[in-house]
Amino acid sequence: MTGAGAIASTASLLTLEDIARASTDNPLPLGTPIVVIVTLYGGNDGLNTVVPWNDSTYKSMRPGISLKDSEVLPLSDGLALNGSMTGFKSLWDQNRLAIVRGVGYPTPDRSHFSSMSIWQTGSPKEHVSSGWIGRWLDTQPHDPMLAIGLGSILPPLLAGVKQVGSVLPLGGLVIPKGSLANDCLRLAYPASTDSPLMASAATSMRDLFNISGNIAPVLKNQAPPADVLPTQAGGNFGGDSSLSQQLDVVAKLIAASAPTKVWAVSLGGFDTHADEIKGQITLLKSVSDSVSKFLSQIRSTKRANDVTVLVYSEFGRRVKANASFGTDHGTSGPVFLAGNQVNGGFYGDQPSLTKLANDDLAVTSDFRDIYANVLEDLLATPADRVLNGWRSKLGVIKKV
Amino acid sequence: MAALTDREQIARLVHRFGFGPKPGEFERLFSLGLSKARTSLLTVPQVDVGLSKIVPPELSDLGKFPPPNTPERLAFAQNMRSQNLDLKFWWLDRMVLADNGLTEKMVWFWHGHWATSVGKVEYALPMKIQNDTLRKYALGNFSQMSRAMVEDGALLYWLDAQLNTSKSPNENLSREFMELFTLGVGKYSEDDVKSLARSLTGYQVTRSRGDTVFLKKRHDSSIISFLGTVGSFTAPQLSDYLVSRDDCQTFIPARLWFRFISTSTPVPADLSNSFNGRDISAIVATLANHSALSDPINSQVKSPVEWFASVCRALNIVPSKLTSRTRATDYLDKLGQVPFVPPNVGGWPFDEAWLNTATAQYRLALADYLISQGDLSPVKSTSSSDGLANWLGVGKWSARTQAALTAAGKDPSRLALLAICSPEYLVSA
Repeated sequence: MTGAGAIASTASLLTLEDIARASTDNPLPLGTPIVVIVTLYGGNDGLNTVVPWNDSTYKSMRPGISLKDSEVLPLSDGLALNGSMTGFKSLWDQNRLAIVRGVGYPTPDRSHFSSMSIWQTGSPKEHVSSGWIGRWLDTQPHDPMLAIGLGSILPPLLAGVKQVGSVLPLGGLVIPKGSLANDCLRLAYPASTDSPLMASAATSMRDLFNISGNIAPVLKNQAPPADVLPTQAGGNFGGDSSLSQQLDVVAKLIAASAPTKVWAVSLGGFDTHADEIKGQITLLKSVSDSVSKFLSQIRSTKRANDVTVLVYSEFGRRVKANASFGTDHGTSGPVFLAGNQVNGGFYGDQPSLTKLANDDLAVTSDFRDIYANVLEDLLATPADRVLNGWRSKLGVIKKV
Repeated sequence: MAALTDREQIARLVHRFGFGPKPGEFERLFSLGLSKARTSLLTVPQVDVGLSKIVPPELSDLGKFPPPNTPERLAFAQNMRSQNLDLKFWWLDRMVLADNGLTEKMVWFWHGHWATSVGKVEYALPMKIQNDTLRKYALGNFSQMSRAMVEDGALLYWLDAQLNTSKSPNENLSREFMELFTLGVGKYSEDDVKSLARSLTGYQVTRSRGDTVFLKKRHDSSIISFLGTVGSFTAPQLSDYLVSRDDCQTFIPARLWFRFISTSTPVPADLSNSFNGRDISAIVATLANHSALSDPINSQVKSPVEWFASVCRALNIVPSKLTSRTRATDYLDKLGQVPFVPPNVGGWPFDEAWLNTATAQYRLALADYLISQGDLSPVKSTSSSDGLANWLGVGKWSARTQAALTAAGKDPSRLALLAICSPEYLVSA
């Protein structure tokens, strides 16, 4: 990473009003691919996600933290999904889930921070401060709506050199009320003497009030119904995780034709150094339930064929359990792609449990091959322009 | 635009080369005039009375993690948590209570430079040791700082130096040492990264204490070819060699320029002359005297910790005495910046990254929390917006903020809230 101003410094924080207006003025044409990137922070244990349940080495190397046969959902090739991932299993059965195996990059880095930075910048060798989606943004005409992250901080993958994605906070903003609100609103006016940064400070205060206004917030719309889940009183039961909440917002905005091609959401907690089994099951269930519910919601809109979800984490974990019934930081792990444009099935080789490199799984697929797919087949941009010359890619996206 | 007035320049200096004024400090500096005010801000007293009240936290060696699901583990986790909290508030107290803020501001800068996170190190003690090292050399000689840091336990653990052995090299520390700490990106080859990694082998860190030991048999002492030199080197020798390079003389002043002057105005070519002897106080003095400080274009946003510390100074708040320390750090976390927890080895973002609707909301909430516990007598004793500007060290209010303050009437809490959330205070104009 370089500190110095290599990054475009105008992160817009969008208000719902902005998005509502853009959805009306400039709706995304039907048929435009939309990518939803799900980042799992902490390093998800791939071996207990896509489980080599038929391999006796799996159980012998993981005493206390291997899943029993009754705790997995068999796929093929001797592999099974973690039993909590019923939503993903049904996507798999519909041929709408691709699993890329053994994904990583040369010379694995076991630091969360560095490895996540590598994944988000798309640059394993050189430290760069721009994100891979950010560099895609740099190839596009300026538009703060093109890529949006949910949350209060801009995810590094959305930071380009010339333009950056925007940030949409997930509900819960508490706005001053009454006369204090009037006072604060006065602070939000532009002043002729403002420097650009002072003007931004005033804008951020103004945007805060816009969110709370009564101006047709898209988020007050009901979320599109999900057909896979039982409904009650018009709504769905479903995961109530923060990931599910984020994806609910994304679903509403996609349904409202927001002119956004890339969405970034995330879930943390995957750093399972101890007592892994139970914690990971909860997390994976949340991922699987939230994503399958989301895709189901999308299927009830006119964009059923447009949306692809990409799920990744910064690294997999060690093959062997540690002394605390957990696993330490490892190397490669599986990446999921889901949606109607996805050619379902396995990609890449499953890393061997016996031919380890420094006690770790080998890297059999390069994550840039997946990014190249997303860039070229969904975002219609030559991958080498964004990925420092990288050209090879998988065939995971259907040509529609 | 016209150059800044002396008053506006003094306002910039007091916020950038310190953490803003305590009540009455800005009037004192203004009465000195620009030149003497600058000298005063750059002169670190032998004994800082404000700091003398602070007792360092008692951090013990907690030892290894006990097994999970045991009573020992619970007690251990509580101790670790409380030591970490003590450490954070000890440092926040120093930022707020120091009469002269320059040293702590420099430690804060160096913390962002050698950015090490307790998120991975976990133990407070090694972070405290590193913080003390950064303070020892904060305005001293960069070669000595770098020598100390190349053997700093927290930094070595953070960058996996303990995994870097002659049999299985790990290049994490090697790469960052050149890229982020001494030379800047691209001033070395991939072969240099490998060579340096080999020579930096042999260190083992006792993480709970921050102790670093050098194990000769794990060290790769073979001859390396490295950045135009050939030989067998120790880590301190390599540090000296890197710091002596011209690229280091350019890189460190550029990093300081970026954080103290501007993230948009290019670094002047002659700036590095002041770093010829690797004397940090010399380059800091050059920056504080630089003509760029009078150019209105070079405004900078206070980061959340900088804003928090300056508000506490103005309100006579001792951070560790707040009603809830965890509530305070929760706010800072939501604002995106907690001391000892940088997001990655590259340190924190800057300027516009801190300006969005989410931070606007949390800043209002934190301001409200602080004002409810602060000393508002400076606000009560003034009846004018000029008095508020003097209290906070604001160069001048815009017509916008002037109007907001006038409309707010006489309520001191409300006046304080508007003033410390105003663009003029949030940005070191």
